[in-house]
Amino acid sequence: MNPILADIYSTVVPSMPFIIGAYVLVWAALLVYVIIVVRGLKKTEAQMAALEESVRAIRNDRPSNPL
Amino acid sequence: MKKGMVKVPEAGQWPDKLAIPALATGAVLTTAGFLAAFLLVAPVNGAELESPELVGDVMVTHQQLLSQKIFYFHMPVAIVSFVLLAFGAYYGVRFLTTREARFDTCSRVAMELTLLFVVFTMITGDLWTRFEWGVWWTWDPRLTTYLILMLIVIAYFVMRNAVDDPELRATYASVVSVIAFVDVPICFMVTRLIPSSVHPVVTREGGMSPDMALAVMLVMAGMMLVAFGLYRLRFRQARLAERLQALKDQLDD
Repeated sequence: MNPILADIYSTVVPSMPFIIGAYVLVWAALLVYVIIVVRGLKKTEAQMAALEESVRAIRNDRPSNPL
Repeated sequence: MKKGMVKVPEAGQWPDKLAIPALATGAVLTTAGFLAAFLLVAPVNGAELESPELVGDVMVTHQQLLSQKIFYFHMPVAIVSFVLLAFGAYYGVRFLTTREARFDTCSRVAMELTLLFVVFTMITGDLWTRFEWGVWWTWDPRLTTYLILMLIVIAYFVMRNAVDDPELRATYASVVSVIAFVDVPICFMVTRLIPSSVHPVVTREGGMSPDMALAVMLVMAGMMLVAFGLYRLRFRQARLAERLQALKDQLDD
């Protein structure tokens, strides 16, 4: 290869894994955090709904009340 | 919103309606910034070549520092981590002055997001450092002060898990959040105060061209919106979990 071209590419090609790594890791970490938060939110909402159901059962004095 | 005489933030109010649009807009803006960084902004020049070379239809006279493209995410996420830490410390001070537990919740959520963005900054910075300086780590003043900041934020969560009493835990946590924030101006200014620092400083390097500034601003705005959306979602979940626990405690009694 032309030595001048080799000099140009010497700072371009070897840097690609670092650039790709930086962007992929940031996006992946962000995505994982969003998934964790949304799953946590849905889980808490489901628990709240179950608790509200239990409270209603207590108020209605049902014998099969889970609490 | 009001609890006693102190106005406290609550989930389910108008900012929550903006959380998902903010996240979506943030994703679009950061993607636009990413594309602008690679497609619109020319690579930064490195060392001068022995002789100019025609590549495609462009006369290249210098080495092309493609690794500088990491900067377009690195600087915005670092700035957002400082902004989030400012919010964490603000709510910490609000807790210390009012003793209202809600402010501790706000501070905790802001600190959690601070840690996330500090990790982003470290990932992008470290990969850039590895390629440009040939090492994974160096005790440069900016890197060192930012590492101290990250360790304080980690210590914040270690401390939270170590203290059982909620009032005491919130007090200690608020103090630690303020201590962490003290490091922000030090970290920001250290490259200007210590000229031997090898960390790049945009103003010292001659500033940004308009196309570079556009890419940075797009990513910065996008990351701010992402941070806001995540804060509201996480705060909503934290408040719901607190209300759930309070209801369980009442039923147990």
